[in-house]
Amino acid sequence: MKEKSIVAMLLAGGQGSRLKTLTEDLAKPAVPFGGKYRIIDFALSNAANSNISNIGILTQYKPLVLNTHIGIGSVWDYGREDGSGLRLLSPFTSQDGGNWYTGTANAIFENIDYIDDINPEYVLVLSGDHIYKMNYNELLDEHIKKGSDVTLAVMEVPWDEASRFGIVNVDDDNKIVEFDEKPENPKNNMASMGIYIFEWDLLRKYLLSDNKRPDTSHDFGQDILPSMLEDGQKMYAWPYKGYWKDVGTVKSFWEANMDILDENSTLNLYDREWRIYTKSRNMPAHLITKTAKVTTSLINEGCIVNGTLNNSILFTNVMIEEGAIVNNSVILADTVIKKNAVVNNAVILEGTIIEENAVVGAEDDHIYLVSNEGVQKE
Amino acid sequence: MKNCIGVILNENLDKNFGSLCNQRPSYMLPYAGRYRILDFALSNIVSYDIRNVVLYTSEKMRSAMDHIGSGRPWGLNRRFSGLRLFSPYYRDGQATRSEQITQLFNTIKFFEDAKEEYVFLMQPSVIAKVNLDDAFEEFVASDADVSLVYKKQEDPHGRYVHFDKLHLNPDGSFKEIGLNLGIDKEFNHFLGMGFIKKDVLITMVKKLKEKKQVSSLKEAISQNKEHFNIVTYEFKDTVQVIKDTESYFKASMELLDEDLYREIFFDDGIILTKSKDEPPTIYKEDSMVCNSLVANGCVIEGTVENSIIFRGVRVEKGAIVKNSIIMQKSVIGKDAIVMNSIFDKSCKIDEGLRVSGSSNIPYVLAKNGHVKKE
Repeated sequence: MKEKSIVAMLLAGGQGSRLKTLTEDLAKPAVPFGGKYRIIDFALSNAANSNISNIGILTQYKPLVLNTHIGIGSVWDYGREDGSGLRLLSPFTSQDGGNWYTGTANAIFENIDYIDDINPEYVLVLSGDHIYKMNYNELLDEHIKKGSDVTLAVMEVPWDEASRFGIVNVDDDNKIVEFDEKPENPKNNMASMGIYIFEWDLLRKYLLSDNKRPDTSHDFGQDILPSMLEDGQKMYAWPYKGYWKDVGTVKSFWEANMDILDENSTLNLYDREWRIYTKSRNMPAHLITKTAKVTTSLINEGCIVNGTLNNSILFTNVMIEEGAIVNNSVILADTVIKKNAVVNNAVILEGTIIEENAVVGAEDDHIYLVSNEGVQKE
Repeated sequence: MKNCIGVILNENLDKNFGSLCNQRPSYMLPYAGRYRILDFALSNIVSYDIRNVVLYTSEKMRSAMDHIGSGRPWGLNRRFSGLRLFSPYYRDGQATRSEQITQLFNTIKFFEDAKEEYVFLMQPSVIAKVNLDDAFEEFVASDADVSLVYKKQEDPHGRYVHFDKLHLNPDGSFKEIGLNLGIDKEFNHFLGMGFIKKDVLITMVKKLKEKKQVSSLKEAISQNKEHFNIVTYEFKDTVQVIKDTESYFKASMELLDEDLYREIFFDDGIILTKSKDEPPTIYKEDSMVCNSLVANGCVIEGTVENSIIFRGVRVEKGAIVKNSIIMQKSVIGKDAIVMNSIFDKSCKIDEGLRVSGSSNIPYVLAKNGHVKKE
């Protein structure tokens, strides 16, 4: 990508309240995933692998863990000397007072100065909430090829789920003709992924005018994009083919993690050509002892497994003591499962201690969200 | 920052490791699934806040420079102080072996210019998490010239014959450095590390070069014991000495003990190394693993027992790996059997083939080795 021609704006301010205690103390993009990552690592690594030099990360809800994790972005090669790199952009005050970000578009509006400074041709809007691998150059190439004003990345969803999404109706050339938000009778099954490339000059105008209106929710999907379409701007959809997951609920969080264990999963974490980078702790290789039995599981560094583990994911520094049995569970970092405890269908939060002989969860259709404070059945 | 320079000396052990150290110095030998031997010495030094650190490298510098870089993973890429690599440097007329005294002499200006008053010296082949806060405090308080670190080592099987030994007087004071001949069931194992006052070091090194005597620091101190006030510091925890293939193999297998694993990797300071961004290891349905240390990035479909598996290794379906050390990115093909072996980086063994060493002499496959069908 030409050095200054594109700026990525990564929205990472949301709480993801349906994730309950998983986001009690941190923003949704900081939620752990896949044994060693945080959700935001995917968007960040995609941007780094796509050679995007400038990226602004918009934070708001409980950003401490997120900010500590990101730092100056060295892990994604954003710790630069030449002024490019990563900026953490939180709400701020000015001579006119100060505002919390009131919507996805408003968050970008408040940071027009950051983008103007770099003076790019394009702005790429991303969300830090999703798990996927994408080379953003492919989206940009399509945008340039079509001479588009705005290009949206879209993906096919199962028809019977289409009514849950923001559907994009297109013509034969993938030119967008209509936005259909959560349609009862969907005409199309292409859902908007919340990934947009804009001509910066154009977006800038719309952000300024949208901000003047008190009646909008200052949101891309609800306000900016429909408004642009109404005005006849050239808007195209670019179909993305690959793994993509929005882990919005505890159940989908558990499912997305379990997906990694699936033979047929299309999210390949072992692809050396497109690595997902993250800030790691300095932990040793994990230890599987003489009494351990491990099948179909994912284990990160620093774990000591003495018990039985099946179809589960262990994050950093998890201790499974002798006689303990863990099935179908996602166990976050620094947890201890003591002797002879039995755990099924659980998501266990960081630092939890499951006492000896405890029985947690059950082999049913529920997911059990477990912490030292108690168990929530989902 | 401590008022103490950390010095990691070069040892001449490469020849004891056969093909494992053909292209790398012994301190760059991969160890414990994701580290290099050097990481342990470096990590101990920095965990006690010694930030002015010098590494005397061997002539084979490439792998060390690649691994160490600017010293970032150990927090040594600071603007002030940090890590210096001193490559072997010879002036006309000097011997070509990289003797410790010669190298110290050739870099004496660094010590003269440094503002620290004390120096801690150590050798990478000895892994021991010595509490340098304690040891340093005691040394400074004693106002001695030198402090030598040792451990009371039990040796019922004579594994430590020819190791360095500290002879102590009946009152516990230092007498001399000698060699353990295996006569006693317990001896004072000198760990090849200690503190010295910087001025004492500088004076001693200069005098020795003038007289063209001795080559190793240990000899120098031993010979000068009349002139120096030497005290000792006892270390009581686990020591691993990795000085040849056999001790490397034995020490690796010791790591499979949970208590030792916790002591080395968790207690009193973690081991720092260059991160490689590998995903967690995945164990597939038919995998069977027990009593093994497994690093990240591996895909395990077969059987692994009593082994050390490094980053990014694939053990395919039906394959069996026992009592072995398999280094980074190696591939154990379907139904292959590997026993009592050490595979260096990026090795391969094809489907159905078998290799095995004996329990005391491991089979060693050199880097990029490929065991293939005819």
